[in-house]
Amino acid sequence: MLVVDELKKNDPQLRLLALLLAGGFFVLITGLWWVQIVSAREYQNHLEMQAYRTIRMPAVRGKILDREGRVLAENRARYNLSLYFDDLNDEFTKEFERLRPVNVVTKGPPFWEFWSHAKTVQTNRTRLTQKQKDALMWQARYNVVNRITADVGHRLGQPLALDFKKFVFSYQQERAMPFTILTDLDGGQIARFQENFAGDLGANLVLQSVRSYPGGTTAAHLLGVLKQDDSSLDGEESFFNYRLPDYRGVTGVEGKFNSELHGRAGGVSVKVNSMGYRQSEDVDTPPVPGQNVTLTVDLDLQRAAEAALDAYSQQHHVNVNGAVVVMDVRNGDVLAMASSPTFDPNDFAQGISTEKYAKLQELQAEKNRATFENYAPGSIFKTVVALAALENGLNTAETYRVEADPTRPGKGCIWIGKRKIDDTAPPGDYNFKKALIHSSNAYFIHHGMIVGVPKIIRIGEEFHLGERTGLFANQETAGHLPSAAKVASRDWRDGDTANLCIGQGDVDVTPIQIAVMISAIANGGTVWRPRIVARIEPQDPATGGTATVFSGGRVWDRLTVHPRSLNILRDAMLDDVASSEGSGRDAAVPGLNIAAKTGTAQVQDDRNRLIGHNYWFASFAPYESPKYAVVVLVQSATEGGSGGSTCGPIAREVYQEILKKETAGKNLVAAK
Amino acid sequence: MTTDALNEKHSKLDKLQLMALSGLMVIGALFVYSATYANPVEAQKTWYAQIWFRQVIWYGVGLGAAMALCTVSYHTLARWSFVFYWAMILCLVAVLIPFIGKTHGWGARRWIDLPFYQFQPSEFAKVAFVLAGANFLSRPPEELRQGLIFWKGMGLMLLPFVLIMKEPDLGSALVLVPTGLVMMLVAGTPQKYLVRLIGVVGVLGLLLVGDILLAPPALRIPIHDYQRQRLLVYFGQDFAPANATQKQKAEARELQHKSSYQGQQAMISVGAGGMWGAGWGKGKQTSLQFMPSGSAHNDFIFSVIAEEEGFVGSLLVLTLYGVILFTGLRIAGQARDRLGKLVAAGVVTLLFSHIFINIGMNIRIVPVTGIPLPLLSYGGSSVLCSLIALGLMQNVYMNRRGY
Repeated sequence: MLVVDELKKNDPQLRLLALLLAGGFFVLITGLWWVQIVSAREYQNHLEMQAYRTIRMPAVRGKILDREGRVLAENRARYNLSLYFDDLNDEFTKEFERLRPVNVVTKGPPFWEFWSHAKTVQTNRTRLTQKQKDALMWQARYNVVNRITADVGHRLGQPLALDFKKFVFSYQQERAMPFTILTDLDGGQIARFQENFAGDLGANLVLQSVRSYPGGTTAAHLLGVLKQDDSSLDGEESFFNYRLPDYRGVTGVEGKFNSELHGRAGGVSVKVNSMGYRQSEDVDTPPVPGQNVTLTVDLDLQRAAEAALDAYSQQHHVNVNGAVVVMDVRNGDVLAMASSPTFDPNDFAQGISTEKYAKLQELQAEKNRATFENYAPGSIFKTVVALAALENGLNTAETYRVEADPTRPGKGCIWIGKRKIDDTAPPGDYNFKKALIHSSNAYFIHHGMIVGVPKIIRIGEEFHLGERTGLFANQETAGHLPSAAKVASRDWRDGDTANLCIGQGDVDVTPIQIAVMISAIANGGTVWRPRIVARIEPQDPATGGTATVFSGGRVWDRLTVHPRSLNILRDAMLDDVASSEGSGRDAAVPGLNIAAKTGTAQVQDDRNRLIGHNYWFASFAPYESPKYAVVVLVQSATEGGSGGSTCGPIAREVYQEILKKETAGKNLVAAK
Repeated sequence: MTTDALNEKHSKLDKLQLMALSGLMVIGALFVYSATYANPVEAQKTWYAQIWFRQVIWYGVGLGAAMALCTVSYHTLARWSFVFYWAMILCLVAVLIPFIGKTHGWGARRWIDLPFYQFQPSEFAKVAFVLAGANFLSRPPEELRQGLIFWKGMGLMLLPFVLIMKEPDLGSALVLVPTGLVMMLVAGTPQKYLVRLIGVVGVLGLLLVGDILLAPPALRIPIHDYQRQRLLVYFGQDFAPANATQKQKAEARELQHKSSYQGQQAMISVGAGGMWGAGWGKGKQTSLQFMPSGSAHNDFIFSVIAEEEGFVGSLLVLTLYGVILFTGLRIAGQARDRLGKLVAAGVVTLLFSHIFINIGMNIRIVPVTGIPLPLLSYGGSSVLCSLIALGLMQNVYMNRRGY
């Protein structure tokens, strides 16, 4: 060691100096080791944090299709015109320099030029405080962006204004993100933009995916609505600097199958410089697109059902409260489910105005009346009473004399104790078939009393009335059927049984429950779990992924009634439409044998005042080999309707569409 | 090549030191480029107008100046040392006059604009001080016992110290203190003087720091706000007084953020380098301008090297400096007389002070202060003076044999 050798023979001062140097180097090396080796991770994280902004990129939401693959809900590309602040930095600086106040100073010539008598004019920048500078810089930025906004508006023929607060917020909080100045350009505007001035304004077209329902109000309740929700789902990265708008299904299929439709959001890192301006982008995790959901619904039938309800509204100048359910009796598939009044789910996806929303609220238009409201069943409940009586050995040929109502000439009535119950049918002798097609209250109360309420309740329970079908967890009511214990208690009076026999009082149903019930009657006793989603599969079959198929024909229960009883009931229901006296004759469609039971229930408020009627039409067809159950409900505040006359025509329109499809050979084959 | 030339004892120049020097100059050019190439203003210039190339030119000029100095013996130079010294004192006074001294936007009046370059007298003053100090202290050790001589020596150091402080340039002023102390030590100043001196310097330093951190505003010594803030940052003090309002606190926090920004970014650069670094030209801190573009190639060049070459690169730089400094000590040991020994020791201490403070402020061992890293930081005056100082050392080496 040359250095050490030299130092040995030298004086102690140099040795001390060498020691000091060595000590200094030791301190530096230790410090560097600490910072660069021991704490490296921490500083690398810090660097990442200040140099990257992460953005949550929502996945493309899956489509919702009808049973034939026709689109009910999809995604539309929306073009927004946006600015990137990083492109404008130079402009900001230039504008700032332009705005900056100057003072002009006239100076005498320097002494070596004094003979020239020249005067120099000098402009000096005025000194500004930091606060003034900041304010001026904001003004400059706003001017630049405002100028571009106005220019774009002018050239696109649509006046645009820039909101100062919104701009300041975006600049401070979302500097690395595109700043939108015009949303949802139409085709003409896009073309004009592309041709005339793409690129020379610092403005860019930014693509955004928006949920779109091409059918507008079609199947609105079934599909449901979305709500903006940018939060991370389970299993997704949860920290992001920015989140692009994302949506969550709230109701209907969008809500129930949200996790499948939604897919998994991905992440993008934007590298930014110290000013927060965007430098480059990297996709960290690509979003995983959501899956397509194929419904059991047939778009044509759905449209026909909605059109029929709409036609009723047009005709009566009301926004009818009603519902139509069409079900495949062979497997419980829901082929159509319409509810009125309706709404346009596009409004929710793209932002709804408060007035419009208030109107929808007032009409309770978002409520799916096919599943989410309890209705008194009225006479359609007589099918349950009929089955109980037939099982009890009712002689269908035997007649029962309905006595005349002294206060209402031409109408019958029945006395239960001291209480008189009106009948809409005229007095006279009634056998089973005649009683059903005239919907005689007296006949069914009489026989219901003979059978006893527990047996009626048992049949009702076999149809699973009073239970949710499970179609939509948060949008379904259970209806109501009194329990066996309740009807056995002392509080249960004969009057209650009489009321129950005609579908009034302590019983409520939903249209979907009635569709399940009618299907079971039609198909010989199988109570299906209704199905609305046939399968869920990846959007792009090429990318693989597994499809989930929901098998149709899930048996919920089997009726214990004898087939003979069902035959007798179906036979009578056929006559209800076919016979010229039948209450359901208005639904008749030539070429299709329809079997039906109509119903009218009085709706009372809390103080037992009559406030309206529920009109029902519960039917199936064809009679020979049943395929379709069609249930129509209309709630009306006005007098003078009936299940047959109000709902019959609505059902007829649906059956006409069914017939059209059947004759075209496109019969709706039950899905496997 | 003769055997003489290979023989260390008879070689004309200290080859080992020259090799380390060349290594540092290559690194300097490379990383001045790396620190500036992402700057859009720089990128527009033609290659010969870019900063890295100007640095290369300064290396050339500096080497030329050093060689020119080696043509005459350091004894001759020492005889002129007071002329240099007083000329530099004059420049330091001139730089304080507003029409002559320029700030270049840095808030301190440190430069005199010459047609071809911005002359920074404080850099030259340091070298002039080393030479003049060595000359002054090379008198027989007995004379150093005299109080008057001691105080004259002190005055020699304090005059440029005060003038440079006045610019203000705390860092450059402070390096004079260890340099002066070490030269006094090597010259053989009696120990009791030195111990007292170190004691006084230490007490003054403590008082200064204590005053800055703790004293109420009325009793504070007048230093610039930014200097005070840098020290507050270094000692981790809160800017806001205890009884501040919410608004004052917010302002203080923002100010604190601004003041600590540079040092923090430097430390992030160094730390993010890890063991092997991001690779040359791939450092994010400068290309994304987190490290302010004005200082990345300048006082904070080390952070660029450390980020791009990691701990390995840092060690390489320290090794090269180590070679220069320890060969410098060897030259001091081999010098033929006290003058030579003092010149070499002075240069070694001067360089070491720069290195320690500059690298130390990158890793928060010392507060942030504007001081260049010798040979690596961009800057004409700094490069020129570092090379002149090394030239002086080689001069001592060349003239080591007593004939």
